[in-house]
Amino acid sequence: MFASRTSLRPSDVALRALIVALALGTAYIHSTLGGLLFTLNSIGYVTAAVAMVIPLALAVRFRWVVRLGLIGYAMTTIAGWAITGPYYSTAYIAKAIEVALIVAVSVDFARHDGNPVNVIRRELAAFGSFVADRRGTAGASA
Amino acid sequence: MRRLTLALGMVALALVLAACGGTSAAAPTTAPSGATAGDATIVAKDIKFQQPQVAVKAGAPLAVVFVNQDGAPHNIKISDAAGKEVFKGDIVSNATVTYQVPALAAGTYTFMCEVHPDMKGTITAQ
Repeated sequence: MFASRTSLRPSDVALRALIVALALGTAYIHSTLGGLLFTLNSIGYVTAAVAMVIPLALAVRFRWVVRLGLIGYAMTTIAGWAITGPYYSTAYIAKAIEVALIVAVSVDFARHDGNPVNVIRRELAAFGSFVADRRGTAGASA
Repeated sequence: MRRLTLALGMVALALVLAACGGTSAAAPTTAPSGATAGDATIVAKDIKFQQPQVAVKAGAPLAVVFVNQDGAPHNIKISDAAGKEVFKGDIVSNATVTYQVPALAAGTYTFMCEVHPDMKGTITAQ
């Protein structure tokens, strides 16, 4: 169930490096703002950056979840800022980075996973097969 | 290729940290003040206002000295009892600035940091 290796082209590597740089850039900005909320936000971005490149089988297998999570995380951060502010230069820089991050991760998702709806269907089917196999194994051993 | 990805990720991390390491605090656009003389002084430290209650003279423009001792950015936004904004100072980090606040009518006002809305205080104009 956990395929751990996929071949990456140089352009994939460059795109992944860009995503990590953007995530760490906005993480740094948030880490300088002080307060619990900004610190947690910063930790979230660092965690996502690590999850985007760490060569663990589980992370590789579910990189699509990481991608969607990172897109949602950045969108939530932007929405939160749009509602509460403050509107000043550093915030605009951080939001510009996050918009670029969303675009970069979306491109990465499209290149590796394709249509998100198809990905979810495929994963549900894989999960169904996994559960059926487990039931079959349990039934055989009983 | 997987190792190359990881290596490039680490390089990107190093570049970001190196680039950000030299970033200085935002330059205050409000006139800087070397002295602390003013109609009121408000100090921000450890994500808190050290003077949560400030009394000022009503009916005259004010020079409010704002001392941000944090590396984190702070400012002061003053609102009247109805919540209407009457003044908003520039956001600064680790700097002292003097805000030129317009005359306040007698009454009670609240002030807060826009970056950290939990930082609040009260200004009494009398």
